[in-house]
Amino acid sequence: MKRIIISHEARQLFRSGAFRALLLMVAGAVAFAAWSGQRSIDRQVEGANAAIAFEDGRRGKMRADTEQYQAQVAAEGGEYQFASAQHAPGAGPPQGTNAGVVGSTTAKYLRMPPTGLAPFSIGQSDIQLSYVPVSMNPTMYITKDNELENPVNLMTGSFDIAFVVIFLLPIFILAISYDLLSSEKERGTLAMILAHPISLRELMASKIIARAGVLLAGVLVLGIVALLAVGTNLNLADTWARFSLWMAATLLYALFWFAMSVLVNVYGKNSAANGIALAGTWLALVVVVPTLVSLLATTLYPAPSRMELTTAARQAQTEAESTYMARLSEYYYDHLEFVPEGDERAMDFLTVAMANRNAIEKAVRPLYDGFQSQLNLQESLVQRFQFISPAIMMQLALNEISGTSADRYEHFLNQAYDFRVEWSEFFTVKFLQRAPLRPQDYDQLPAFEYREEPFATVLMRLVPSLLGMLVLLTGAILIPFLRLRRYQVATS
Amino acid sequence: MLQATDLRKSYGDTEALKGLDMTVEGGDIYCLLGANGAGKTTTISLFLNFIQPDGGTATVCGLDVTEQPLETKKLLAYIPEQVMLYGNLTALENLRYFSQLGGHDYSPEEYRDFLRRVGLEEEAVDRRVKTYSKGMRQKVGVAIALAKQARALLLDEPTAGLDPKASNEFSELLLKLKSDGAAILMATHDLFRAKETGTRIGIMKEGRLVDELSTGEVTHADVEKIYLQHMHAGGHYAQDGAGSA
Repeated sequence: MKRIIISHEARQLFRSGAFRALLLMVAGAVAFAAWSGQRSIDRQVEGANAAIAFEDGRRGKMRADTEQYQAQVAAEGGEYQFASAQHAPGAGPPQGTNAGVVGSTTAKYLRMPPTGLAPFSIGQSDIQLSYVPVSMNPTMYITKDNELENPVNLMTGSFDIAFVVIFLLPIFILAISYDLLSSEKERGTLAMILAHPISLRELMASKIIARAGVLLAGVLVLGIVALLAVGTNLNLADTWARFSLWMAATLLYALFWFAMSVLVNVYGKNSAANGIALAGTWLALVVVVPTLVSLLATTLYPAPSRMELTTAARQAQTEAESTYMARLSEYYYDHLEFVPEGDERAMDFLTVAMANRNAIEKAVRPLYDGFQSQLNLQESLVQRFQFISPAIMMQLALNEISGTSADRYEHFLNQAYDFRVEWSEFFTVKFLQRAPLRPQDYDQLPAFEYREEPFATVLMRLVPSLLGMLVLLTGAILIPFLRLRRYQVATS
Repeated sequence: MLQATDLRKSYGDTEALKGLDMTVEGGDIYCLLGANGAGKTTTISLFLNFIQPDGGTATVCGLDVTEQPLETKKLLAYIPEQVMLYGNLTALENLRYFSQLGGHDYSPEEYRDFLRRVGLEEEAVDRRVKTYSKGMRQKVGVAIALAKQARALLLDEPTAGLDPKASNEFSELLLKLKSDGAAILMATHDLFRAKETGTRIGIMKEGRLVDELSTGEVTHADVEKIYLQHMHAGGHYAQDGAGSA
């Protein structure tokens, strides 16, 4: 019995020009979003490659110099020496032999590789760079290229597939289902149908199944086409696991909007009233509430100004420079093992600079950590308030699934912080021992390999959002189906 | 076949039906006459279970419509004042859809045959029904009832607004259905057609059945006279149960 209605409804949909036009529009939007998302990821990858090539190139040049110098030393005899910091160019050992110079003038770019699904949801990756420089500089320099003043703005962003799913898909769903029952009632066919052995619930369910089926088949096809088109890491199981999660989230979200249509329709108002009620619901849940939550987050936990951070860094530096003698003594006091033999009071600028850096790091790190923890507070507030809007839940879930969530980024930054210590250590020790860098030392530089989070961690973080949507959906289905008993087929 | 027992229905404070008792047997065409708001449509809606009664029962072939709504609807066919169809489907597609909803399925040739029997022009069968006149749509409505092999028919002013020829053709179709043994309950304002095609006439006023006539025993003039008498009667209950049978 239901099959008849389902196929009838599907045929009715495809015979409607408006539906075909909408379907084309959605396909167009998905195609554009896939292209735009892919472009954004490509730019990031290109940016990372360029930065890495540039910095590695500079270090490569320094290594080549030391190689040449080594050959020269071997040919002419003499000792492989350490270049003093402010050594005039052209004569003597090249700068590449000085670990302090190499470590502070070149940077190592670390990158967080995009997941196979990254182009689907850009998330905040346009303001939180997926590649960061690490050098002997203080920690705050790691994220200096990130736009730290940008609030947790979940509502703006790129035109990616997540945007199409969260903003446009509900409009499409509401457009094909806002008059689910009201149109039949207004056309007069509702009475014709219900004079047959069909219950209202059965009719309603069949109509929804037809629409949801057509829509989700379309979404699946478009999704796979988009995945093949952006085509990153297609042979990875991880990509397909993430894609399945994406589809599951989209299914929940789409069904929620269908349920909203049913909910509005069971009150028996006319199609125009239903349309207005649903448009209002969309506006409230997709636009107004997320904006308010974002506003609340940035009002309750305002991020300290980046200017403040920079000023504090300068201040610390000036202070460090004005008292560098004292600092140098203090520094050597802390690191007695490194005081050069017979040259305890040597005014080595690099040593001073290193001591300064240390001072700046000490002075600014608490500020920087405060800054990051404000961002974390904003994020966790959004996490807590996500349950009042399926759009926020969906945005968080899609960012998580695509690997562009704040949590994954933090995971990456923590690795970068750790690596900074390791990297600095390598050069600091060599420099303070006045050990010249040899070509083979360049091969010993600490290497960075991003360690991906276990998939289970990602799943655990997805639970609140997906569960929240499931609960919301269940409520949105139960209410109308209980209320349907009171629906007036005929009014007199 | 169709039986109402002390059937009551109120909309808010207004009592639309104040205890209706009536029976329509197979082979009967029972015409319900009465002013607008007398309770004719309410009666039909109650038999279709579109609304819930506040008291009493409505049964179709002995089955209570509120207890077995889906079973009774298998036995019923409904032709409203305006047979509304899917405008972007052809007559044949509409007929097929509604037949399948009723649990029947026929070959395309059989569907064409139903449409031929109700007198729909051959060329119209494969045209989308949004171009149809009311008369043509009413014919499709009858075809739907035929294909459903309904034991009882509920008609709500099906000929209102039809031209005399179409109205006459419609009456012819009713007579055919009657001869097949269907019980037909028709609400109408057309006294002439009621006398002409109906076997019995019920006059309703303010939610009550105030009179019942057998068409064989009265003339056209009698029907009109009795009807107007009831309509002009002042007191609400003055004519209750009175009149000839």
